[in-house]
Amino acid sequence: MHLPDGFLSPQTYLPAYGLAAGLWWLAARRLRRTLDAERLPWLAAVTALAFVLMMLALPLPGGSSVHATGVALLAVNFGVWTAFLAISLVLALQALLFGVGGVTALAVNALALGLLGSAAAWLAWRAVQPVHEVLALILAGWVSMVVPAAIIALVLGIQPAIAHDAAGRPLFFPFGLAVTLPAVLIPHALLGLGEGLLTWLGTLTLKRLRLRHAV
Amino acid sequence: MLELTGITHRYDGCLALVDINLRVNSGEKVVLLGANGSGKSTLLKIIAGLITPNGGLYRYKDEAIDARRLKDRALSRRFRREVALLFQNPDAMLFNPTVYDEIAFGPRQLALADVDARVRHWAGVMGLTDKLQQLPFSLSGGEKQKLALAALLAVGPELLLLDEPVSALDPRTTGWLIDFLAELPITVITTTHNLSLAPELGSRALVLSEEHRLLHDGPIEPFLADADKLRAANLVHSHRHRHGALEHRHDHVHDWD
Amino acid sequence: MKRDRLLLILYLTAVVAATLVHEPSSLAAALVVLLLLAGHDATRLLRRSLRVILVFNLAVSLGYVLLAWLRGISPWETLLLINLRVLLLTLLTFLFISRVNLFRALDFSPTLSWLLALAYSQALGFQRAHAEFRLALASRCLERPRLIDRYRASAAAAAWFMDRALATARESALALRARGFFDA
Repeated sequence: MHLPDGFLSPQTYLPAYGLAAGLWWLAARRLRRTLDAERLPWLAAVTALAFVLMMLALPLPGGSSVHATGVALLAVNFGVWTAFLAISLVLALQALLFGVGGVTALAVNALALGLLGSAAAWLAWRAVQPVHEVLALILAGWVSMVVPAAIIALVLGIQPAIAHDAAGRPLFFPFGLAVTLPAVLIPHALLGLGEGLLTWLGTLTLKRLRLRHAV
Repeated sequence: MLELTGITHRYDGCLALVDINLRVNSGEKVVLLGANGSGKSTLLKIIAGLITPNGGLYRYKDEAIDARRLKDRALSRRFRREVALLFQNPDAMLFNPTVYDEIAFGPRQLALADVDARVRHWAGVMGLTDKLQQLPFSLSGGEKQKLALAALLAVGPELLLLDEPVSALDPRTTGWLIDFLAELPITVITTTHNLSLAPELGSRALVLSEEHRLLHDGPIEPFLADADKLRAANLVHSHRHRHGALEHRHDHVHDWD
Repeated sequence: MKRDRLLLILYLTAVVAATLVHEPSSLAAALVVLLLLAGHDATRLLRRSLRVILVFNLAVSLGYVLLAWLRGISPWETLLLINLRVLLLTLLTFLFISRVNLFRALDFSPTLSWLLALAYSQALGFQRAHAEFRLALASRCLERPRLIDRYRASAAAAAWFMDRALATARESALALRARGFFDA
């Protein structure tokens, strides 16, 4: 999931922008060192891939579906920093060109989904890989869904406490942690299984394709 | 067989088709011509019942077709069985684990008794018999297109819609496809922007202008001889030619795509 | 300063301002000003904004009505404030998108502007292809597709997008090299 505009107080999104800006700069510098000449087209292509992975449906029985994120797939196969930059760029494209998601929420979304989601996925994958490769990939997918969901639930849930008027009425998102944590976490813990499947099968496919394209 | 009356469609506020009126009779071979972005693909998708136009009426065999009516199971089954669309990008159509399953996908939905015979017949026609156990994704571009066509024909459609079928084919496969379609005893509507191949794909031309209107409906030969209409449809261009010291300018086509 | 960059700064300032003001009347006044600025696009942009925010805001609003009823407080002023703010921000963004060329606004960093443009054009192509994949599945199914077929179709689409992304990355790197982009 990612947050729309208008539910986060400036006390939340302004510091988030400050933090994200520093990390974007760091990530760009790291990428420049490691990917040399091909870095720009490579990053653009991974960004377009991240964009379309977020449009991809994970079908549910009964005809409905939910959207994948592809965060773990990108983190495991292209590294955490590339995933962070690609997902941040996707969020910027979505907010400023397609008009979905939010501008104020962009930094929080980029940090939750792009950085912490990919980092958690990568760590889970690395930790479990020596024991069981497939399990490691599925776990990475699950973690990449649950960790950002928990962060977003936390950020939303503290809004009534940090932004309210003199009478105690909320100015932004109106529900506290007691509502947001279960409402966001329970469905995402289930959706994480679908994301795990995508991470596993997607990684298999990507490995084969990278051999074919020699990239 | 089908009739469009006053069809108008817009995507996100952009016009795609304006006031299209036409009839296609059973057994006709029709070529749908138009420059890129003139609305050819959209028109095919409307005829295939995949897009419901914002305005106008589409009737297939005297039955009005739109998204709401296609929710009716019996109608949807009959319509989807009889009308087949070959997408411009055949990859969009292929999702089964093997070439065999891909061709069998349609017949299995109909619970036909001769699924295996149909698969082998159409694989033979398309030259895919050796590849039945392969992953569709691993085929070449031309083979993917033949596979998609085999998968559509195995269901036994009565109306075949082809979206730019020759744009990605090599010359030999293009020749094969033209011969194959000429022999096919069903109604076929083919889009192309390739003027030199158009007369081979059908005797009747429907031409969309860049303003998304029907510019011409009738025999193809007079249209190809009408320089004004060709220019209006943006299907020809003119530039300078130099022959030694002489220089002149005339309308013409380049059809390499 | 260039028009597009100026409008970008103006837009970002307006976004922050809209989150600093907490009186519904001021937000409503700002909304009216925006609609006047939008001119003949006003109804189209307003309809688009409402469609985008409808589901999430409706869920939050209904939930809050329930919460307020349980606590015995009046929910209306809060609901008005929250919904007005979300609508204002969304409309502001759509107006910005329809009036400003983002790539020109960001050309203080040629790399960023170029990277966004490249990613955007590829993303648009993928978006169109994604719609085609969905229609193609629908056209091949006589009735609603089974779960397994929907999974196979999603997987085939994902594989195709990965293949395209890798091929595009390679091609555009070669194209840039041919133009001497990396020699500098």
